[in-house]
Amino acid sequence: MAPTVLIVVALRLWPLALGVNFSFTGDGDLNGTPVGLDNYATLLGDPLFRTALGNVGLLVLLLPVAVAIPGLLATAIHLRVPGHRVYRAVYFFPAVLSPVIVGAIFTLLLGYDGPLNDLLGVVGLGPVDWLGDPDVAIFAVVGVHVWATFGMALVVFLAGFSTLDPSLLDAARVDGASLPQTLRHVIVPGLARTIQFVFATTMIGMLTSMFGLLFVMTGGGPEASTYLPEYYIWVQQGQLDRPALASAASTALFLVMLLVGLAQVGVLRRAGREG
Amino acid sequence: MAGGRWGRWVVAVPMAGLALATAYPLVFTANVAVKSRREYVLDRFAPTGSPRWDNLAEAWAGVGTSRYFLNSTVVVACSVALLLLFGSMAGFALARLRFRGSSVLYLGCLAALFIPFQVIMVPLTRVLADTGLVDTYPGLVLAYVAQFLPFTVFLMTSYYSTVPAEIVDAARVDGSTALGAYWRIMLPMGAPALLSVGVLDALFCWNDVLIALLVMPSADHRTLMVGVTSLRGQYSDDVPVFASGVLVAAVPVLVVYLLLQRRIADGVTAGATRG
Repeated sequence: MAPTVLIVVALRLWPLALGVNFSFTGDGDLNGTPVGLDNYATLLGDPLFRTALGNVGLLVLLLPVAVAIPGLLATAIHLRVPGHRVYRAVYFFPAVLSPVIVGAIFTLLLGYDGPLNDLLGVVGLGPVDWLGDPDVAIFAVVGVHVWATFGMALVVFLAGFSTLDPSLLDAARVDGASLPQTLRHVIVPGLARTIQFVFATTMIGMLTSMFGLLFVMTGGGPEASTYLPEYYIWVQQGQLDRPALASAASTALFLVMLLVGLAQVGVLRRAGREG
Repeated sequence: MAGGRWGRWVVAVPMAGLALATAYPLVFTANVAVKSRREYVLDRFAPTGSPRWDNLAEAWAGVGTSRYFLNSTVVVACSVALLLLFGSMAGFALARLRFRGSSVLYLGCLAALFIPFQVIMVPLTRVLADTGLVDTYPGLVLAYVAQFLPFTVFLMTSYYSTVPAEIVDAARVDGSTALGAYWRIMLPMGAPALLSVGVLDALFCWNDVLIALLVMPSADHRTLMVGVTSLRGQYSDDVPVFASGVLVAAVPVLVVYLLLQRRIADGVTAGATRG
């Protein structure tokens, strides 16, 4: 017990406090001197950070899609569509690959003269500059992230299904409920906790585990269009040697996650009351 | 439901398409990895006529992969061993020993679980630098243990909560100390959970790139995944060797996945259903 407490306190809880404190001090010549909210003002004035926050907004909008895909697939697997055993294993496997590996594979596939554009050319669609067009790149990276992680959410959904009372599904079938009706009235309310869990973990995943993909696939480009707060923190800390500003960005990221988390709880509660 | 037998097939078709989209990128990469450059330029999709195993050897030697491989193996092995030792000790203590402040400690671990690494990475690097641990194996091992210990403790606590209390009580009555009961009874009994959690911890550590980049900056100390990020620059004009490097780095994880697929899914879902 003692080593665990020591490690958790010294290397997780203590740095969190240290970081928040650090975010109110200066960089460079001002190292260590308190500067109040200056770092936060700098952040808000930095177009890069604003892009990163804008992309967080985009992720929040895409979140329901990223939850619905594994949810629907899990429903189908649970209802034993032909081949359900194989699907489970195949869908899950990218989830165990490192984002770096996934990123490297997709850098290969999504190149301007790469194989995916070859395929598009065959069906008569023009090449898309997946990773070079500022309007497309963030969607490409998020798409790859979803490709790599939906299997994880799927397995969680399947675990949720195993706790669902099978007699409810039988009753729905006897009453002649359609699949959408069953989904709405039996499966969604029955899995409320699982859905909440998947929402939370998917959001955390999008905000904090795309570093490897960004690092390998776009490096934040083109034209800084694929910046996320976590990448911004890395650049400020590692590349530009501005740890205090990076700490302020960390604290902001933490606040964003807290806000999104609370908003989710609120929305799901209200949905639960109506249902 | 789902429109009976035909409905199931209607659902199964897009699912099969998605399964193809999930598996094909890796198959494609594996195929390219053993092509000659000429073959790749002429036709990217055709299966290779004569596999060139030389590519794999070149990728292995060219990026110092063997060195990176060794670094990763050593760090992951040490990290997982410590994670399982500390995690099972703490899990046993939290689940089965009643002592003052145990619920506070449990909440502390739980809170640490929700602190994303990006939020503490700046101060953590500073703490490690101040203690002279940056760019050393113990430094990276410690960083991994700190990162994944809350998760390990959480799962071990919930596992040990399902072990009947009488077993520990009986050992105590027979004169065994808490440590003795842990070492001789709880540790062996925890084997199935330790395997699930250990595999997951090993995957997390093996796949990480951000922590390794921060804590082990020098070229000699790179882990395999950090090595992979430099492949692209090195082999930008030789796609097959690039693909070989990616494949070589992915093989260990694929082997683990094929052997222990159930265990990995168990670990993931244990975290979800207890959450």
